Amino acid sequence: MNITKTVDAKGFACPMPIVKTKKAIDTIQSGEVLEVLVTDKGALNDFAAWAKTGGHTILEQKEEADVLTFYIQKA
Amino acid sequence: MANKVAIIASNGGLFDAYKVFNIATAAAASDKEVAIFFTFEGLNLIHKQGMHDLPMPAGKEHFAEGFTKAQVPSIPQLVEMAQELGVTFIACQMTMDVMGLTKEDFVSGIEVGGAVTFLEYAKDASPTLTF
Repeated sequence: MNITKTVDAKGFACPMPIVKTKKAIDTIQSGEVLEVLVTDKGALNDFAAWAKTGGHTILEQKEEADVLTFYIQKA
Repeated sequence: MANKVAIIASNGGLFDAYKVFNIATAAAASDKEVAIFFTFEGLNLIHKQGMHDLPMPAGKEHFAEGFTKAQVPSIPQLVEMAQELGVTFIACQMTMDVMGLTKEDFVSGIEVGGAVTFLEYAKDASPTLTF
């Protein structure tokens, strides 16, 4: 997977992970992939909902040592 | 699907501020058009000085530690973030007159309007939320 940009939102509480991700996705092109690292547990549902709203695709997500990582392909 | 979110902020405590600005920034970050109508105590949330020292509900002061621990952004940070994301702030003219406040008492970039201004905006918004 080709990652265009990474957002490190570890330690940030809602709504900052989504706000940071929104700002980052505005800077990449359609089809490119954003990697997002968060520790906010609410992100699990929030990112699914956010991606659905924007038409973006979550290609993969994983959880390692309390860090959630999402790979989001821009619509 | 409606792409507008309308929010009425009518209370002036710290918890009220988080309810308003978390939903507003989350909506704006999800490509929604967002406007907040600040009325009565809600005006505190965008008051230049007031927003730095919003009160906790009586008896709930011990939550201050939790806010720090959870690394929740401050209200002034959320206000700035909301404006950066294009959220429109509308201050209620009538309440400002009653309280003797002018546009200069608030963060810059706000609009001042009456109930009809908000109703016109909110007529095709979904959801409309009141805090």
